[in-house]
Amino acid sequence: MAIVELSKVSKKYGEVLALRDFSLTTRDGEFVVLVGPSGCGKTTTMRMIAGLETVTEGEIKIGGKNVVGMIPRERDVAMVFQNYALFPHLNVFGNLSFGLRLRKVPKERVAEKVRSVAKVLDIEHLMERKPRELSGGERQRVALGRAIVREPKVFLMDEPLSNIDAKLRVEMRAEIIKLQRRLGVTTFYVTHDQVEALSMGDRIVVMSKGLVQQVGTPKELYNAPINLYVAGFIGSPSMNFLRAQMNGDGTVSSGENVTLVLPQDRAAAVVRNGISDAWVGIRPEHLMIERNPGATRNIIKGIVEAVEPQGATTILQINIGQEKKIIAQINEQWGREAGEKLSLTVASELIQVFDPKTERAVN
Amino acid sequence: MDNLLWRSSKWASKMIAMVIVCLALCWVIVPFLWAIGNSIKTHTDVFRRGAIIPFLQFTPTLDSWKEVLGDPQTLNCLFSSTLVGVGTTALVLLIGTPAAYSLARFEFKRMKSKDITLWFLSQRVMPPVVVLSPFYILLAEIGMIDTWTGLILLYSTFNLAFCVVIMRDIFRDVSKEVEEAARMEGASLWQIFWMIALPLSLDGLIVTAFIVFAFCWNEALFASAVTSQHAATMPTLILASRSTRGVDFSSAGVNTILAIAPPVILSFFVQRYLARGLSFGAVKG
Repeated sequence: MAIVELSKVSKKYGEVLALRDFSLTTRDGEFVVLVGPSGCGKTTTMRMIAGLETVTEGEIKIGGKNVVGMIPRERDVAMVFQNYALFPHLNVFGNLSFGLRLRKVPKERVAEKVRSVAKVLDIEHLMERKPRELSGGERQRVALGRAIVREPKVFLMDEPLSNIDAKLRVEMRAEIIKLQRRLGVTTFYVTHDQVEALSMGDRIVVMSKGLVQQVGTPKELYNAPINLYVAGFIGSPSMNFLRAQMNGDGTVSSGENVTLVLPQDRAAAVVRNGISDAWVGIRPEHLMIERNPGATRNIIKGIVEAVEPQGATTILQINIGQEKKIIAQINEQWGREAGEKLSLTVASELIQVFDPKTERAVN
Repeated sequence: MDNLLWRSSKWASKMIAMVIVCLALCWVIVPFLWAIGNSIKTHTDVFRRGAIIPFLQFTPTLDSWKEVLGDPQTLNCLFSSTLVGVGTTALVLLIGTPAAYSLARFEFKRMKSKDITLWFLSQRVMPPVVVLSPFYILLAEIGMIDTWTGLILLYSTFNLAFCVVIMRDIFRDVSKEVEEAARMEGASLWQIFWMIALPLSLDGLIVTAFIVFAFCWNEALFASAVTSQHAATMPTLILASRSTRGVDFSSAGVNTILAIAPPVILSFFVQRYLARGLSFGAVKG
């Protein structure tokens, strides 16, 4: 267990800047998820913590000790790779015990540790098998086991669930969280899947183009995204963005079909910043169907263009005029049809406003 | 035959295929039959026309076998060939695999790994006879003419290039992530090489060893130049069948079989690696 501190870490490949000024201090035993599209620098960050990649600038401390320049062995971190990277020529026992044997742990102790980890992960019966004789899920467990068995200070996981099927992924997600809580080891988890990030992380670092966009709890990222990028990246389906005119009375409108009342604090901030038009963000799941035909507050009128039933909910693509479309996820199962005219509404406090120049949230 | 492609082929094309296969077989087998035939003939039968089928056209005899195997020089040559072959293979692998691994995994500052490899490859393109005299003089200077050590050193210089070029390609096919995983587990560079890269390249290593061994076993030009008695190998013995009385085809036949047998037997054991290894990373395993 250890606190990991990254201060102003940068990485350059030749002239290409892969990561700029990454700073973050974890709590002991925290589960930190690095999320972003490919090429955003999340894997680079993790590999620098691991010691597989050199640091161009900045400092990385693990348990208070500066590890820049140290080889992986001296850092005492364990990593789970995207394709598991099991040793193909060793059986499961050989894979699990590899690190311990290198550290010259006595044989009986190795066997004991491997057995107890295998029990936790339910892979005791696979000890004699080679990696190629295992299913994807089993390989995943062995890879996890190999990381756990050494009891490292920090776990690093590089998209460990991206190679297994959807159903198993959900199960393994829960299992990894349970395991991490139980062991209490500080963990960095890299993923490009924001759903995975939201469901697993104590804290999430949203990255894009080598820059940290926002660091926060899942709740913070979801409810108070700091800029357009984070707002669009977190949440599924993505947030709707409408370019809207400020009306001066605390309302905004986007075309004749959309008029929204901003929450007071945001309306005040808009006035303070002298913004005349802005991006307004509304999450699809926050839109509801307005059944009262006389309602006038926060109304979005439109025509249903496409219906995607999701089982419990339904996703609607709605044309709101002027070739603008919004997505709404409504709590109805079936029964909506393309061509239907609808009125949607949204609670004022759920409306986000972004400055079009800086792309930052206006609060 | 169960092969669908074969079954659906026309009768004529099947015939053509068969004829080609038969011709190829003759091409390969006739020299063997010739050597076996000669080895069981008397000196006169060797030159007699129509002495082709044993028992019918000539009486087979094991005289040549007895004569050759009774000659201590034959056994000495067999031993020399084995020792030089095994010794060279061991030395080449010992030096060549770490060199190949470092060329596969690291970039050097002054020269690109690819360029160094190309330079190694160029050693194989050069006609060996060019360096025959220099090597002879060199070995004579250090007193290693007609010694096993001299021959091993000589063969190692040729085969090292081959080993480095081939093994580099094979090491490049070892998954980098697997090696990184070993690094994360705390393995040093040598431990990664020894515990991960080598075992995962075993197929290629066996094939390389086999080819190096076969080269040493078959090499005649240098062996006959730098050895005479003590370190003489099988190919030099076969060359020596030509004496003032002409070529002694019977003992040449025996020697040929003795020389061919070990690599052939060895190839049965390494056959399953040969098929995979000779594709040299064309298909990732």
